[in-house]
Amino acid sequence: MTDLDPRSTSKDVPSALMRQTLLDRGLVRPATDRAVIRLLPWLHVVGIGGRSIIDRGRDAILPLLDELRGAFADHRMLIATGAGIRARHVFGVALDLGLPTGALAALASTEAEQNGHLVAALLAEDGVSYLPHTTVARQLAVHLSASPAVVSNGYPPYELFEFPPAAGRIPPHQTDAGVFLLSDAYGAARTVYVKDVDGVYTCDPAAAAEGEAQLLARVDAAELLAMDLPTLPIDRIVLELMANAKHVKEVQIVNGLQRGNVTRALRGEHVGTIVTAG
Amino acid sequence: MGEADRGALQTMLMSRSLSDAELLAATDDAPDYAILPDANVLKIGGQSLIDRGRDAVYPVVEELVAARREHQLLIGTGAGTRARHLYALAAELGLPTGILTDVGSAVAGQNAQILGYLMARHGVPVVGGSGFAALPLYLEQSGAAIFAGMPPYDMWQHVPSDGVIPPYRTDAGCWLVAEVYGARSMIYVKDEDGLFTANPKTDPGAKLIESITVDELIAMDLPDLVVERPLLELMRHARHATQIQVINGLTPGLVTRALAGEHVGTIISAA
Repeated sequence: MTDLDPRSTSKDVPSALMRQTLLDRGLVRPATDRAVIRLLPWLHVVGIGGRSIIDRGRDAILPLLDELRGAFADHRMLIATGAGIRARHVFGVALDLGLPTGALAALASTEAEQNGHLVAALLAEDGVSYLPHTTVARQLAVHLSASPAVVSNGYPPYELFEFPPAAGRIPPHQTDAGVFLLSDAYGAARTVYVKDVDGVYTCDPAAAAEGEAQLLARVDAAELLAMDLPTLPIDRIVLELMANAKHVKEVQIVNGLQRGNVTRALRGEHVGTIVTAG
Repeated sequence: MGEADRGALQTMLMSRSLSDAELLAATDDAPDYAILPDANVLKIGGQSLIDRGRDAVYPVVEELVAARREHQLLIGTGAGTRARHLYALAAELGLPTGILTDVGSAVAGQNAQILGYLMARHGVPVVGGSGFAALPLYLEQSGAAIFAGMPPYDMWQHVPSDGVIPPYRTDAGCWLVAEVYGARSMIYVKDEDGLFTANPKTDPGAKLIESITVDELIAMDLPDLVVERPLLELMRHARHATQIQVINGLTPGLVTRALAGEHVGTIISAA
């Protein structure tokens, strides 16, 4: 033990958490168990798939953006873009060179950002701009007071600080996770993932025999995790994150290749798979 | 991995789901390149060291200044008592974890500035954000660089199962720096001799544990811990930073000895 008395030399700010390690649950709980407020209760968050939508080019993107434009009058929204095929390519190059997961995350995030720039350019005349992470975290309120929507990078700003994954080397927090974490932090009204399938199937509808793949219209996140399906239209980690979410207790996965789905999902209609927590 | 495996990985990356088990297994076999293999990451505690002022900080700074001639040092900072005030206040106001992360991060930033002023005359800079790209130059020129230990998760921080305190704070942030750069060592400089069976400041019966694995430590489910709990889970998947040492920065000479590879505190290893 040390000969310095821990209490005599520290310069403390009095607080309910003073001198705590913040790791003793029994001590932390009384100071932090208040209900969390929704910062932007009117916010709609729309995640646009990179590979599922953006990589398909104008046939998929332009009608979707028309739909979003049509919804601007009713909803204020944050549109977050996925990365897609270029992220796969840069993963391949970086893995071949032996680079760590954090480096892969930073490289792939750049690709999602570029997709964001493309989408924002197409919506510019409607007053929509691309916002970098720091602006989304600090000034989203003012931007959405001035404009019906903003576009951002779906990747969370983990980059070099990305977690090493349990299996393999691919960054665990990709754009679906980024969309979810941000949506919950803001206490958003709705979180919609726009993909190229009708929702979550019991097996890959593209690979399975006719009639074998069943669409799950509504499923609990923990149950879906337990089903351990070989492929999912959203990142598995979202299902894990849902367990601790303070506000976002359901997300909807919709097929953005079918006209009208996104509009209806933004209104709260059930058009794809709704994943719920708890 | 062989040429055929390399080709197979590239093909799977372009065609399969990124959660595909075979794809993930193939990425596991890719080589591990250490970016800064000679760097040592040290975390200087906020509450445990910096908040104590010069009695604690000057001697540690002296040791760091001397050690950088022999070792490359990446010095991360903790947050401390002002972050605890901010967390308590923000939690009372009902604010979410993302906001707590942002404001807590600023306190680690202040502590990095403080260490930066003390080491400025020795040419040691404070880096952050895109400044990390210049780390190799700083390490070569002055042997050390200082950074704020909080990971940049901001509004995207994980939400804890209980309450709103950010689960990944400066212990995790510093370790992730060691992991991503493939650093030689990760040393936590705190105000205790290492990891104890309970908080030694409040429990006189607490016993020092000299070495332990992450799995053993998780199984013990201690009520309190000298490092952030989620760090243990991260370490289970380490590819580079498979070992950390927690040492007492109030005991002269331990920083120097830990950098020399001596076991002077608690060593926690991934397996």
